[in-house]
Amino acid sequence: TVTLCGTTVSVLYFARSAELAGLRCETLSVPREITSLQLWEEIVKVHPRLAVIRDQVIFAVRQEYVHLGDQLLVLQPGDEVAIIPPISGG
Amino acid sequence: MEESEDVPKDFVKLKCEKLSVDEVSELVVSPYCGAVSLFIGTTRNNFEGKKVIHLEYEAYTSMAETEIKKICRNVRQKWPSVKHIAVHHRLGLNFKRRKNGRKKAYVCVVPITEASVIIAVSSPHRTESLEAVMYCINTLKASVPIWKKEIYEDEYSWKENKECFWANSEN
Repeated sequence: TVTLCGTTVSVLYFARSAELAGLRCETLSVPREITSLQLWEEIVKVHPRLAVIRDQVIFAVRQEYVHLGDQLLVLQPGDEVAIIPPISGG
Repeated sequence: MEESEDVPKDFVKLKCEKLSVDEVSELVVSPYCGAVSLFIGTTRNNFEGKKVIHLEYEAYTSMAETEIKKICRNVRQKWPSVKHIAVHHRLGLNFKRRKNGRKKAYVCVVPITEASVIIAVSSPHRTESLEAVMYCINTLKASVPIWKKEIYEDEYSWKENKECFWANSEN
C-alpha cells in the first residue's frame, strides 16, 4: 500500500529530550501537512515521557525554529525535525 | 607594495579540543583595524553550593554553525565597519566512524575553568568591535542550539540560558 498523505521525516532528539526519548534520532511517518502542535503530539504518542518538557521545547524544522502551535508545516520526505530543549551555549 | 583588500571573513568553529585565545585573536587581526575585542566564556566550579566535577557539551552542529553565521551577518548589518569575526565554541557529542563503519558517539568532557567559547571581532575603531562582541555572545546565548550539562558529585543538570528566546525564565 502507498500512503498518499504521509511522509517520512528524520526526528532528532537533543539533551534532555534525548534522555527522555531514549534515543538521538529516528525516522517517523507523519502527515505531509500538519501543525507544529499536531507534530509534537505525534512524537509524544511514540515517546510519552517527552510530555513533561512540552512547555520548554521548540522545534527546528529544516533548521528553522518553529514554536509548538498552529503553524502549518508542509513536510518533504527526509526533512529534519529536531526537538530543541532550552539552550545553554556560550 | 600592493596590499590585499583584506576581505571581511567569518571564522566559525565548533571543536572538542581546548580553545586557544591566541589562535582566535590571530584570525581577526588586520592591518586595517586598530581594535580587536575579545570575549571568553569560562566555566565555573560551583552552582548553588554544589561542586561541578566537569561539563559535557552537546550541539545540533549543522544548525549551530548556521545560527552563528546568521549572527555574523547581523553584526555586519549593524556595524558595517567590522572587519573579521571569529566564534569558537567547545563542542559536545562527537561522532567518529569505527572500523566496522558504524558511528560511535563520544561525549566531549570539559574541565572546569577552561573556555567554553571565545569570540573575537576586529574593527578600525574600538566602539564597533566592543559592541559587536557583546551582541554576539548575547545572541548566541539566546539562539544557538548548544547544550551544557553540569556534572556534580551525586547528580547532573542540563543548564538553561535565561536568554533562551522561547523558554520563559521563571523556572
